[in-house]
Parts: sequence; C-alpha cells; structure tokens
Amino acid sequence: MDQKRFPNTLIAVFAVLTAIGVGCWIYQLAVGLQVTGMSNMNSWGTYIIMFMFFVGLSAGGLIVASSAHVFNIDKFKKVALPAVIVSTVSICLAAMFVLVDLGGFTKVWRLLSGPNFESPLMWDVVVISLYLAINILDIVFITRGEEHKVKVLSCYALPTAILVHSVTAWIFGLQISRTWYTAIMAPIFVASACDSGLALLLLCLMVLETRGLFATGKALFKSLSGLLAVFIAVDAYLIGCELLTMGYPGAGDAAALSIMTSGATAPFFWFEIVFGLLVPFVILVVSKNREKRGLIAVASVLVVLGVLCKRIWLLLTAFAAPYATGASVVSDAMAADALSFGAVGAFYTPTLMEIAIVIGVLSLGVLLFMLLSNALFGKKQTASTAHAASDIASQEA
Amino acid sequence: MKQGLLINVEKCVGCGGCVMACKRHNGTGRGVYWCNVITKEEGTYPNVRKVMLPVGCQHCENAPCVRACPTGASHYDEEGNVQVDFDKCIGCRMCMGACPYHARSFNWGSTVDNPHYEGQPPTAYDEACAERHPVGVVEKCTRCVDLTRAGKVPACVQTCPAEARVFGDLDDPDSEISRKINDLHAKCLMEEYGTKPSVYYVGLE
Repeated sequence: MDQKRFPNTLIAVFAVLTAIGVGCWIYQLAVGLQVTGMSNMNSWGTYIIMFMFFVGLSAGGLIVASSAHVFNIDKFKKVALPAVIVSTVSICLAAMFVLVDLGGFTKVWRLLSGPNFESPLMWDVVVISLYLAINILDIVFITRGEEHKVKVLSCYALPTAILVHSVTAWIFGLQISRTWYTAIMAPIFVASACDSGLALLLLCLMVLETRGLFATGKALFKSLSGLLAVFIAVDAYLIGCELLTMGYPGAGDAAALSIMTSGATAPFFWFEIVFGLLVPFVILVVSKNREKRGLIAVASVLVVLGVLCKRIWLLLTAFAAPYATGASVVSDAMAADALSFGAVGAFYTPTLMEIAIVIGVLSLGVLLFMLLSNALFGKKQTASTAHAASDIASQEA
Repeated sequence: MKQGLLINVEKCVGCGGCVMACKRHNGTGRGVYWCNVITKEEGTYPNVRKVMLPVGCQHCENAPCVRACPTGASHYDEEGNVQVDFDKCIGCRMCMGACPYHARSFNWGSTVDNPHYEGQPPTAYDEACAERHPVGVVEKCTRCVDLTRAGKVPACVQTCPAEARVFGDLDDPDSEISRKINDLHAKCLMEEYGTKPSVYYVGLE
C-alpha cells in the first residue's frame, strides 16, 4: 500500500503495446481494410463492437458521477473524479475505434466541411465532441474544488451522457432493414452503459485503492455494488422485453432470435445471459456478498465481459441474419444465395492484425488512465483521501 | 426525368450476361458485383425449379443510404439516381448497414492486390481498374451514368439476351417502361420498407 503511483515499468509495457498497435494501424492505412476479417456481408466488425462497448463504459461512469451531484447523493460525490477519469479515457477510446474503422481516415475532415445532419453518425460526432468537452471541464472543476460549477455542469453532463449512448444506439437502431431496428435499442444501450460503466468504475476504484492512489472505503463499495445489482436487473429486464417481442410472433425476427440462441452468435448471447446478468446479480443481491471485495470484483468483471458479449451478438446477429424481417421469397433468396455469382454469407472472424490494433488502442487507454491517475492522485494526497485511507486502515484492522 | 429499370423475372434465364457486362464496363474488382443474379433451387426431385432474381442498387427515391451518409457522399443525381462521390466518402460504411438490398460494396483493398486471376500477378486490366476503384470507399451501381448521359442504355440492359430489362423515363407516362410497369403489374423489392425504389420487377412472388 506504500506505492503511490503506477510504476514506470507498467507504463512502459503498455507504451510498447500501444506502439505495436499504431504500427499495425499504419500498415492498415497503407493497404486498406483488407487486413481485417470484415467483408461486404459483414461490413462492421471488432472495431465497431469496441466503439459501442466503450461509449457505454464511458456513459455509465459519467451517469454515476453526475447523478451524485444532480440528485445530491453525498456519498457518491467522493468517487466523482475517478468516475470522470474513467469516462474521459473510455470516450477517447470509443472515438479512436471509429477512426481506425474508417476506410478514408485522411478524409475525416469531410465530416466538418459537408455534414449531413440526417445521419445518426453525424449526430454522434456532435454529441461525442460535446461529451468529451464536458468530461474535461468536469475534471478541471473537480480538481479545483469548484463545487458549484461541478453541480451546474453535472446537470448538463447527465443528459449528455444518456444522449451519447442513445445516439450510438440509433446508429444501429434506425436501420430499417436490420434486426437492430427496434425502439428499445436506445434504452437497452443506456441500461447496459449503466451496469458496465459502473462495474468498470468499481474495478478501477479497486486498482486505485490497491495502488494507494485513492481510497474508496468499504461502505461506499457496498452501496455502489448494490446500485450495480439494480442496474443489472434493469438491463436484464429490457433484454427480456426485446427477446419476447422478437420471438413471440414466431415469424420475422424469430429467425434472428434463433441465430442468437442456437446459431453463430449463441456463445456470446448465452455468456451474457448467464455470466453477464444472472451470476453477477445473484452475487450482488445478497447483502453480505457486497462486503466482500473479491466477490464484487468477480461480479464486476463478469458484468463488463457480459456487456462486451452483448455488443458482439447485437452487431453480428444482424449481419448473420441480414434479411430476416422481410419474410418474402425475395428476401429468403437474398439470404441463402450460395449459388449466386458473388457468394456472400461467410461469418466474420477478426484477423490477428485487427486484434493487434484493438490491443494497441486498449493499451493506450490503460496508459491514459494510469498517467491521469498519477497526475491527479499521485503527486499530492488530498486531505480527504488521506483521511479516508486511514478510515479504511482502521476498518480493516 | 427520372430514370427507372424494369426487370422481367419471368423472362430471365439466369445466364449472368448482365453480371459480366457490368463487370466489363465498370471494371469492378474481384468479388464485387454491382449487378448480380441471385439463383436458388427449390423443391426436391422431380418437383424442382430454379428461381432467378437479378439484383443491384434499386436507386431509391427515399434511399436509406443517402439518409445515413454522414458526409453527403451518397447523394441523388439529376436523373434521380443514387451516386457516391468518392472524394467525400470517408469509408464509415453506414450506408452498407442501411441498404436493405445489399447493393453496396466496400473497397477493402486495391484490385492490384486482389487480381482477377487469383494467385497471378495483376494484369494491365487490374491496374487500369484500380484507378477507377479507390481503396477505402463504398461503391455500387452507377446505372452506367457515362453511357446514359451519352444517350445509350446501361450495360446490363444492352446485354440481356432475353430482353428481360427495360430502361427508361418513369416521369414519361408513354415511355415503354411506364407502360409495362402498368400493364404487367410490376412491383418493387421489399416495398414494406418504403424506400420507393426505381427498379421494378415483373413476376415476383
């Protein structure tokens, strides 16, 4: 507990991984996205999965942080700064994942010179920029201790955090011919942002506490993980609503549902249902378990992985069942066209190059988190955190 | 002037002539089909039949791809067709998710890296094609805008030996295409999506 910073060796390791990722990305820029496993049939892959995933992780953190100030939940205010750091790093990663997915990275300025505001992607550009600005301002105000400004900003941060993940959901949810086309897509995204974001925050708080950088305290861990249990339940409820609506008529989206439950995306779907929702909920719903750091950690890891699996099945099922909704002979023929001149229908698997780029971006995120934590918590321990640390020492003794 | 295309599925013999004419004229890369014919065998012997469905960009009036494009690269041209401006396309592939007809393809790599004769060095043809199909953009049927603006018909229409394709002006009620759409009760693909395609089909089930 005497170490007050993330060590330089750890920073160096992630810097090297980042550098490898950047190298792979430059290679991808040179030869095109043919180095990925994506195809015309499965036109989005791991990058977009990670984009959805990280917008969610980011929004969840900020929703908790800003709710503390908007609704005057005093005990949660304490974790506002780590929450905003997690949120800022996550949204930067989300933006980077979109950038590495672009076929024309050098033409990205076209978004500014000729924006089409009918496009949900354009909405996301606007909202993510606004959201990033709010995050950075929040960090500045919190570290300066300007409580009133933090409170005012939080009133804007909360709706923006909800909006940022809703808009991301609409990128998918407004595509009329895909299985994503459902009004519940945005609520599902916000619910999964809340549980995965809070779970990631809990994990980061544990890391910060073990490093001696920030003391959260047992009581706060307990109430935060209680909140996590509620978020998991809401997420599970919304998914249940969607699954029932898909499957009940026994037509249309039922084909997509069978791909999720017993087809190509089934492993991800069942992992989420069992290990991402059921197991962590059962762990956290028991009051005594919320006092055990190890169990909170296990539940949090499962929730984060579960939501990652959700992003995977959500995106890929639509490509595996591209014409499920129009049940005419025509759509049927388009889906099963093994005899066509341009054979399509292969399922997506990421390539090593794609994975290396993803690891590179993730490493950059870890790096950013460590550097920000070192800068904001490492140098000087504020009176309150030192006090809290001694609280914990006495509690745990 | 609103250009349209009528495809008579009952006349289509599934020869793939349109597919080849399109590839020859437009020089699309390996695995890219602006014009395609989906074929499907139905039933069990001896009660079998083969279903043919020529597909491609439907040049919708309410095109989901144009709506989804964040930079305006996908747009409507003067003839009411949907076109992609490669200079503006950032390769985000929103349009590919939006298109219900699977009409769009992305240039994942250069045609020089993926020559038509797999495993062989690129031919002069592959190299010439590469310039017309830049890497990292989404492309699709242009309705042979170079030919139609010169007063000709698209390559697929020109080639079809069964005369299953009729190209013309939908705004002119006396044009061959307008009359045939009426007389033969032509319909569009996936009308339930409200995309208002300008490609009409006769003989769809």
